[in-house]
Amino acid sequence: MDQLKDLINQAKSEFSQCQSLPDLDHAKAKFIGKSGAITEAMRSLSSIPKEEKPKVGAEINSIKQEIEALLAARRNAIQSQAMQSQLESELIDVTLPGNKQSAGSLHPISLTLQRVEMLFRSIGFDVATGPEIEDDYHNFTALNIPESHPARAMHDTFYIGKHVLRTHTSPVQVRYMKAHQPPLKIISPGRVYRVDSDATHSPMFHQVEGLWIDEKASFANLKGLLQDFLQSFFEDESLIIRFRPSFFPFTEPSAEIDMSWNDGWLEIGGCGMVHPEVLKQVEIDHDNFQGFAFGLGVERLAMLKFGINDLRPFFNNDLRFLKQFSR
Amino acid sequence: MQFSKKWLQTFFSKSLNDFDLSNLLTMAGLEVDDIKNFNELSDNIVVAEIVKVEKHPNADKLNVCEVNVGQESNLQIVCGAPNARQGIKVPCALVGAKLPDFEIKKAKLRGVDSFGMLCSAKEIGLNDELDGLHELHQSAKIGQSIKEALSLNDTIYTLSITPNRGDCLSMIGIAREISAQIKVKMNDVEIIDLSQKFNNSQKVLVEENKACPRYCGIQINQINNKIKLPQWLIGYLDSAGIASINPVVDITNFVLLEQGQPLHAFDQKKLQGEIKVRRAQKKESLLLLNEQKIDFDGSELVIADNSGPLALAGIMGGQSSAITTDTKEVFLESAFFAPEEIAGRARSFSLSTDSSHRFERGVDYQNTLKAMQRAANLIIKFCGGECSNAVDIQNTLPQRKKIHLRTKKINNILGIDINTKEVEDILSRLNLDFLKQDEHYEVNIPSYRFDLTIEADLIEEVIRLYGYNNIPAITPQSNASIIKNCITNKSLNDIKLSFSNLGYNEVVTYSFIAKDVEEELHENKSLIELNNPIASQMNVMRTKLWGSHLETLTYNINRGQSQVRIFEIAATYHKHKTEIIEETMVSGLLYGSYLPEQWTAEKKYINFFNIKGDIEIISSNLLDFNRTDSGIPASLHPGQTAEIKKRDQHVGWLGQLHPAWQQKYSLDDKVYLFEFKLNSILENPMNRIELPSKLTPVRRDISVLIDKNIAVGDIVATIKSLNIRNLIDFYPFDLYEGSGIDNNKKSIAFLILMQDTYKTLEENEVTRIVDQVLSILQSNFSATLR
Repeated sequence: MDQLKDLINQAKSEFSQCQSLPDLDHAKAKFIGKSGAITEAMRSLSSIPKEEKPKVGAEINSIKQEIEALLAARRNAIQSQAMQSQLESELIDVTLPGNKQSAGSLHPISLTLQRVEMLFRSIGFDVATGPEIEDDYHNFTALNIPESHPARAMHDTFYIGKHVLRTHTSPVQVRYMKAHQPPLKIISPGRVYRVDSDATHSPMFHQVEGLWIDEKASFANLKGLLQDFLQSFFEDESLIIRFRPSFFPFTEPSAEIDMSWNDGWLEIGGCGMVHPEVLKQVEIDHDNFQGFAFGLGVERLAMLKFGINDLRPFFNNDLRFLKQFSR
Repeated sequence: MQFSKKWLQTFFSKSLNDFDLSNLLTMAGLEVDDIKNFNELSDNIVVAEIVKVEKHPNADKLNVCEVNVGQESNLQIVCGAPNARQGIKVPCALVGAKLPDFEIKKAKLRGVDSFGMLCSAKEIGLNDELDGLHELHQSAKIGQSIKEALSLNDTIYTLSITPNRGDCLSMIGIAREISAQIKVKMNDVEIIDLSQKFNNSQKVLVEENKACPRYCGIQINQINNKIKLPQWLIGYLDSAGIASINPVVDITNFVLLEQGQPLHAFDQKKLQGEIKVRRAQKKESLLLLNEQKIDFDGSELVIADNSGPLALAGIMGGQSSAITTDTKEVFLESAFFAPEEIAGRARSFSLSTDSSHRFERGVDYQNTLKAMQRAANLIIKFCGGECSNAVDIQNTLPQRKKIHLRTKKINNILGIDINTKEVEDILSRLNLDFLKQDEHYEVNIPSYRFDLTIEADLIEEVIRLYGYNNIPAITPQSNASIIKNCITNKSLNDIKLSFSNLGYNEVVTYSFIAKDVEEELHENKSLIELNNPIASQMNVMRTKLWGSHLETLTYNINRGQSQVRIFEIAATYHKHKTEIIEETMVSGLLYGSYLPEQWTAEKKYINFFNIKGDIEIISSNLLDFNRTDSGIPASLHPGQTAEIKKRDQHVGWLGQLHPAWQQKYSLDDKVYLFEFKLNSILENPMNRIELPSKLTPVRRDISVLIDKNIAVGDIVATIKSLNIRNLIDFYPFDLYEGSGIDNNKKSIAFLILMQDTYKTLEENEVTRIVDQVLSILQSNFSATLR
């Protein structure tokens, strides 16, 4: 019996020397395998007197259970050690940079136009577009700028045969007014062209124009709308605008739009009440309908919003500039 | 329009210093471009007389001048001006004088000491005349500060007058406007009736009545055109940026500035016979005062005598009849030319004169005679002489229509609440006579207001005087109907964002490009050329964006970039016969490594399939990429180009830049280009959404050998077109070419995915589907199972 009890100590010592699960299985076989000591002992019960059998049998069982418990404990220990060393071996440097494609970006002009569109759409403006190579009628005549009117000289127009590169996006408004009945509210963003190139002028640039026609849209409403828009665009509730008298053949009265900026005034665009002659050209009844139009320079808005004081980077397409706009 | 504040002050008894003139002008719509304040000019710039001029010993173009500035001894000053000569009086900036841009210091120029600087008109801020010294009147007092000598203690305003306000291109016009703004009456210019001393002998015939509705003329004899006009008059011209020429010409310019009426003076002795206002004849020509020679085509309006054209009507006079200091007899012309006659005419000769500028905007046709009398008064006063009777030939002058003005309309349009009293006050201040009716006013328009023709014009006048600053900002109210939106439409912004998310940088390039790029790289045979390009590398409209994108690539490579992934969505322009068609293209260029250099990835160059994959994602798999033998752009690699189609319609190209072009652009690595029509991906139809099956699909892989030139796309398309029951997906997942297989073969592994909607597939059903696929591969594509 003592011999049997000694098995526990033997098992304890053998198990503790096992460092892997196969080793442990091997050691286990010595005790509770097919030919292990416990199995042998169970077999030897047959040679024991009948009355002693229950007692010896119970004892062997209890020893077996103890050895199995030792085995389980050692198995757990080995497994957790193995997990531990796996984890240790799998240590990574999480401060290394992530694996990625280079950052894409939208051009600041797109970002600006998206913002303008989003704000005007939020009050029900539709977005309209049109051709860039225009005929004289839509770019000038329909906008009350007849042939050889001095105002044409204000536009520095690129000509293609008898066609022009549109000098503003107003022709889009003309086309839209011809195709739709008032009330209407649209903005028309896009590329426009003027024969001008220096540090502050680009022969191609972007404009967004707005148009609102209904029975009662007034000059004061125009001022309210533009102030509201500019406050939202620049996220500055204290921003105010002023109108300055000006002249555009397609609006009457006309105004330059100045906004408060760094303790002064900054010109940001032009606007006015749509000229009755323009409404006549697009066959809108100018006795019952009235409305306003405005035009803003997209590059100007972008420069102010992003704090860029040079126009040229917008068209150089230097990736070091463009990638800063990834978001 | 540039003018002196001192001059403007002469029209008012009340001091203008009491007003913020700059703000007043701006808020009246006469935008102030620039204010030059001569009060700030240094007192150390004085009148100097050049006493002696010697050549500089070490410099051909320099002179060493001895000048008298009224100090005990003369100064030695080195000067490079070509007109430096003994006896003239010029401005001299003494040592210590501060000029707008720098301070004068004692200097050594090529080894000769110089104690100051002799100045041009520009250097003292008078005008832009940089050539040569500004020669002063002989009566100028030596040593006197230039500010006093030229009566420069003054402020010069430069206004940018909008084309509708031609009436403000004169001192009386600006004074009228100021008077209305400050509610102070202006003084009239005194014009004395002329006493006729002899009968006019110069006959005038106006053949073109419509173009020239009014023509006034007068002869003035026995004048002395060698006298010096008083400094105040020359000073006013100076302040307006007009150079002094000779007394008679200076006086006509003075009256032009004061009255806004362009005048022309002919030397009477140089005229032959009758003066005619007529159309030019073909083959006639004229040498203008600016020495430009005009060859007429027959449509131009000219002033002519028996010898031919004397002047380009309303624009510029000719040399042959020009006034000189020797002129003794003058024929003075004051005319009204119709704006539509002059408009655009000067520009067609690349001319812009003070005269044409005013005529094309409209000159007061009721002031024609008066302005001429004013000039005659001044000529007789300063040059002596006597005048004939005045000729005044009038035809149908413009008619000013009465305008109907409704107070209610004013308030509707402006969104303000103005009362009739205010409206009447404003009309009166603007000299607009009116008759009050029940609900409106009948307003008479003065002859000088060419811009007032309809009610809206008067509404603008009302708000100008009411004050743009008094317009309230009122948020508009509107109906709240929702804008229709279609779920199957993709927006431009969605597409741009997809590109950005895949690591593309958006660029914006010019729509015009160099003609040779368009002809060669873009293979365009029907160019859309600009009549007036801004530069030769931007002279045609582009049919593709690739040329611009290659420029952008080069620009960035030169700045150290080794990976370039750019896109742009912009119009391209195509000529079909006489029609111009615009097509918005989605276009881009990729170059260099696939990923930016980083520690996890081996360097891999971008390839065709990287980009194809991106476009498949962006287009929601709406586009097909096809092999083609015809029509491939010569700029692309014929073996690495796919024609992009949508439902069998050509929409674009994806391919590698042809190695020959890669060499031409000196690019180290391969370049890939793509373009497709924006409208091919704007529509994104919703497929019928199917609920996923509860069953797990069964997968089988097969690997086959096929001829290298067989398109895998054709195999996939063929299998899919058969709609084999329970086959839910079929695609290649591995490709092998090289050792172990025949040179003209390739090994492809396909994945076959199968599933029944209602039950798990039996093995024999799976085998049947795989066999069916295999047999098609074998029969249609001569594939052999590996």
